[in-house]
Amino acid sequence: MFLHRLNPSIKAITIALIVVLLAFIFDPITPFIFLIGTIAITFIFGNVEWKKYILYFIPFSILSFGMLWTTIAFSTPSNNPNDVITLLGMTFPRASFLTALALSLRILSVAALSLLFIFTTNVVDFILSLIQQLKLPPKIAYGVLAGYRFLPMMKDELVIIHQAHRIRGINTAHTIKDKWHQYKRFAIPLLASAIRKAERTAIAMESKGFTGDKNRTFYRHFSIVKRDWLFPFMMLLLFSLAVLTSLKLGYI
Amino acid sequence: MRNWRFKEIVVMAALSVVFAVVYLAFLPAGKLLVGLFGPIGYDLIFGIWFIVSIIAAYIIRKPGAAFLSETIAAMVEVMIGNATGPMLLIAGMIQGIGAEAAFAATKWKNYATWVLMAAGVGSAITSFTYGYFMSGYAVLSTNYVIAMFITRMVSGALIAGLLGKALSDGLAQTGVLSSFALGKAHQKRNAA
Repeated sequence: MFLHRLNPSIKAITIALIVVLLAFIFDPITPFIFLIGTIAITFIFGNVEWKKYILYFIPFSILSFGMLWTTIAFSTPSNNPNDVITLLGMTFPRASFLTALALSLRILSVAALSLLFIFTTNVVDFILSLIQQLKLPPKIAYGVLAGYRFLPMMKDELVIIHQAHRIRGINTAHTIKDKWHQYKRFAIPLLASAIRKAERTAIAMESKGFTGDKNRTFYRHFSIVKRDWLFPFMMLLLFSLAVLTSLKLGYI
Repeated sequence: MRNWRFKEIVVMAALSVVFAVVYLAFLPAGKLLVGLFGPIGYDLIFGIWFIVSIIAAYIIRKPGAAFLSETIAAMVEVMIGNATGPMLLIAGMIQGIGAEAAFAATKWKNYATWVLMAAGVGSAITSFTYGYFMSGYAVLSTNYVIAMFITRMVSGALIAGLLGKALSDGLAQTGVLSSFALGKAHQKRNAA
């Protein structure tokens, strides 16, 4: 699938660029069209499970809805209070309603862009591409990759600390106050073990010849081919179309 | 980055990973507070999202620690596949710059409590400026925005600055930091 084979650096830069462009948009039509377009692109050019997609999309919808009502509730009074929109039996000032709608649709557009990236990109590929295309120092990149590997171990570590505490006679927390104390007791051992592991990993890597030198060889090569430029072109085209449509409809 | 030991980079990355998980865990808490108090809810606990900058800088004590750790934490948050996506990466970098500026002002020499608190405030200032333009605070009333800003700075100083220092000192007492700047400082103090 096109999106999966796309160079990860190109994908990330394009998305970042679009996110910045979206920040200058304060009308509801542009982000709406863009949102639909992005979701369509995700499913046409990527192999994404729609059930998983919806599951990930829900939190953003809640966030977006929160943004909608707080912006309406806390916005400055508009200049012409008679210009109102009636919706579900409630009246809102037209200007602040449209801005609120624009902001919440912007959140959803950005969410769709992030999901496009997350669902079609392998983390290790992304970091390797950052080293090879964007000249990220290998020392940092491999440090991050090593740190990222600790993520799944952390859950096991929590279980171990919990059991170690129990064996020493600390009962399972039930009340919120107990839970709070429990987290306080967990924090230091968890961090300490993460630091110990990191230190050991670093020493192991260095003893096996890792110097962080920029002139290193790679097992997996990433390059930018002509086809990769199709993605930024497609996304910018979609964005321009959205802006033009909104302009035609007189919302900007 | 030349004077960084590889060990320090991996430890910084590991701290960032731990706090990326903590950051994500606090998002629902933030949403709950927003539900109760409106947009200012986030600002009450916003300091938690700056904490790794202060901890990493305080432990490693090298230029770039505050900025890089926050950036990596944001990156891990994006990689886990939650939160606000690529935009979060930019937000993380901007928060990191704020904290880094405070340490840079002391030429990365002073790690007293007030500097750590200033770093928390620094992150609050840069992140608020960014939020003002990106999240559209401009549409909120001016007094409310000022209240949000002050709340965020206090939160940055207390949660990121003081809690970050307390956690790092707690870690130093366990001895795991013996080969890092903070651990050495502790040993010196204990020996004296």
